[in-house]
Amino acid sequence: MSNPVKDNEGIFIRRRLEAVAGLMAVGFIMLSIRAVDLHWLQAEELRSAADKQRYRQFETVAPRGPILDANGRTLAESIEVPSIAAIAREVPEDRVSELAKALEIDSKRLKAKLDRNQGFIWLARQVTPAQAAKVMALNIEGVRQETEWRRYHPLGPEIGHLLGFVGIDGNGLEGVELSFDDRLAGKSGVRQVRRDARGHSLPGGIWLKEPEIGKTLQLSLDSSIQSIAYAALADGVRKQNAKGGSVIVMRPKDGAIVAMANWPGFNPNSFSDYKPGQWRNRVITDVFEPGSTLKPFTMAAALETGKWKPESKVFCENGKYQVADHTIHDDHEEGWLNMTGLIARSSNIGVAKVALDIGPEQLYNTLADVGFERKSGIGLSGESPGIIPPIGRWGPVETANIAFGQGIAVTPLQLATAFCVLANEGQYMAPKLMLNAEKQSPKRVIAAKDARAIVAMLEAATGPEGTGGKAVPAGYRIAGKTGTAQKPSRDGSYADDRFTAVFAGMAPANNPELVVVVVIDEPQESIYGGQVAAPVFRNIVATALPYLGISPTETTTPDWGVVKASIIDEGIASRQSLMRLSLREARRIASLRGFMLRTHGSGWVIRQKPQSLTSVEAGDEVEVWLGE
Amino acid sequence: MNAKLSIALPVAGIAILATGQVWLSHIRYETSIEISTVQKESAAIKGEMNTLNLELASLTRPERLRKIAQTKLGMAAPRPMQVVRP
Repeated sequence: MSNPVKDNEGIFIRRRLEAVAGLMAVGFIMLSIRAVDLHWLQAEELRSAADKQRYRQFETVAPRGPILDANGRTLAESIEVPSIAAIAREVPEDRVSELAKALEIDSKRLKAKLDRNQGFIWLARQVTPAQAAKVMALNIEGVRQETEWRRYHPLGPEIGHLLGFVGIDGNGLEGVELSFDDRLAGKSGVRQVRRDARGHSLPGGIWLKEPEIGKTLQLSLDSSIQSIAYAALADGVRKQNAKGGSVIVMRPKDGAIVAMANWPGFNPNSFSDYKPGQWRNRVITDVFEPGSTLKPFTMAAALETGKWKPESKVFCENGKYQVADHTIHDDHEEGWLNMTGLIARSSNIGVAKVALDIGPEQLYNTLADVGFERKSGIGLSGESPGIIPPIGRWGPVETANIAFGQGIAVTPLQLATAFCVLANEGQYMAPKLMLNAEKQSPKRVIAAKDARAIVAMLEAATGPEGTGGKAVPAGYRIAGKTGTAQKPSRDGSYADDRFTAVFAGMAPANNPELVVVVVIDEPQESIYGGQVAAPVFRNIVATALPYLGISPTETTTPDWGVVKASIIDEGIASRQSLMRLSLREARRIASLRGFMLRTHGSGWVIRQKPQSLTSVEAGDEVEVWLGE
Repeated sequence: MNAKLSIALPVAGIAILATGQVWLSHIRYETSIEISTVQKESAAIKGEMNTLNLELASLTRPERLRKIAQTKLGMAAPRPMQVVRP
C-alpha cells in the first residue's frame, strides 16, 4: 500500500520541519539570552541611558530676597543680568581679537586665559544687556550667554555701611547682606521633567528639590531720614575738615533704628573700589570715649540712690580738684552748682564728686542697665560691646574719670540706646533693626521721675546757660548733651591734637520722638561737641521732625509769605548788625541769610542777640528787641 | 450575526479608546507647551518688575528728589511755623 515516493516525500517534509523548528529554537534561545542580557545584565546602564533621554533635570536658581525700608522702599534688589562664558577649547583662534574687542578687554590677556583652560570659563560677568548682545551678535563658536543674579543697592553710599554688599556668586559679604544671609539667600531647586522624542517637556514634572525663594527683609529704617542724616553728617564733616563721622537716629518708643550712617560713605554697588577698612559700619564697630555725654547717666545713678535730688548742690572747686594723685580740671571755673547746673555747665569736677559719693558700684550698675558693656543684639556682625574696666579696678581716679566719660569706650549705637532709656522715662528697649521684630516689653532700669528730671537737665544743657545751644532748631525744644573727648594715642596716653566731638540728644524734649547721636571724628576747625556735632544734630531734627509731621511747640515769627528779594542788596545782606533797622529790613536780612528772627516790641531794633551776626548760620535764631 | 457582533463591538470600543488616548496625549502635550511658555513669560515679567522696582527706587532716591526740589522747583524744607500735625 505504501508508496515509496510518497514516503520519501514525507520524510523530506518532516526533516524540513525539524530543521526549521531547530532553527527557530536556536533563534528563540538566542533571543532569550539577549533578553536576559538586556534585562538583567545590562539593565542598569541601559535604564540610565534611557532615563537620560527621557528625563531632563533643570536647576532653577532662586533669587535673593529684597531688602525694604519701613515704608516699603527698595533698598536692595536682585535682577538677572547677562554674563558671557565660553568653552575654551571650542573658541576658534582667529576670532579671539574680535571677541576681545567686543568684551573690551586686552586681546593678549584673553588669549592667555583661553589657552590656560580647556573647559568652561567666564569671560565677562554681569555685563550690560547691550554689551552681551554685541558679543553674541559675533556668533563665535563656543561663546555663550548665561544669566546671573546681580544685587543692586539703589541708595548707594548713603546706606552702604548698613546694608553691606553681596559677592559675585551671590553670598552676602558685609553688613545686613552678610548678617541676614540665611534669610535673604534663595536655595536653588532641581526639577525633573519627562520629554518627548523632539525634546519638548511633557506635563507632570517633579521637584527633586524644591527651590526656596529668598525672604524679604523689611528694616525699621526710614530712607528719607537716612538721607537727611547722611547729608547733614557730610555737611558737618566737610565744614570741620574732619576725618569722618557717624550718626544714628533711633525712635525711643520702640527702640527702632530709623537711620544709621557714616561719612565717608561707600558705594556697595562698586565695593571693590574701596578698601576693606572703609566697609566698616563704625556706628556699631567703633568705640569712642563718650566724654560729657556720659554725665547724664552719672546723674541718673545719683538720683536713683534717693540721696541726691535735682536741687542738691555741689561745690565745683573753682576749676581744679585733686583725686588721689590726679588733678581734674574744668573748662570753666565754677563754684556752687545744682545738679541741673552740673549738666548744663558740664562740670567734670562736680560730676566726679557726685560719682565718688555714690560709689563705683552704683555707677557701674546704672551704666550696665542702660546698655553699655554689652552687644545690643540687633543681629549685625562685627558689633563691639564697648569697653568698661572691670569693676574691681575702679579706684577713686577711675570712678571720677568714668563719671565724665573718660576711661570708658562706647559705640554710637550704645550711646543712642542709653539716651533712649532717658527719653523713654527710664525704660530700656533693646534696639531693633527689623520692622516686624517681636514686640518687646520695656524693662524699667531708671525710675520714671528720675529719668524725667534728667531730661529736664538735658533741656537746660541746650538752653541759654548750656553748651548745646547750637543743637536747637527754631520752634522745637531739645534735650541733649555735648561731649568732647581726647582720642587715645598708640602709646595709651591721650593725643593732644586729636579729638572726638559728640552730641547726643532727643527731640522734641517734651515728648521725644527721635534720639540722635552725632559723632565727629577729629574735627579741625573746632574741637567742641557744642560747635561741631550740635549743628549736625540740629540740621537732622530740623528736617526730620517736620517730615514726621511733628509740629513745633515754640512760637517763632511766622515766616510764611516771606518772598525772597529778587535783587540781593549786598550792603544789607552782609551787615553784621541789625541795630537801628526797621522790622521790615531786619526780616529781609533774616530771609536773605536764612536765619530765624524772634522779635519783641515794635519800632526800630534797639538790641540784638547775638550781638554780631558773623557766626550766625542759616537756621540759627536771632532775637531782636524793638523800640521807638 | 451574534458572533460577528460580539467581535465587532469590542474592536470598535478598543479603537475608540485608543483614538481617545492619542487625542488626550496630544492635548496634554499642547498644554504642557503652553504652560512652559506662560511660565517663561511670568519669569520674564517678574524679572522686569524687579528691574522697574529698582529703577523706581533709584529715581525716587531722597537725595535726588531733594536736589530736584531745591534746584529745579525752588522748594525748601518747611519752616517750623509751616508744620501742622493733623
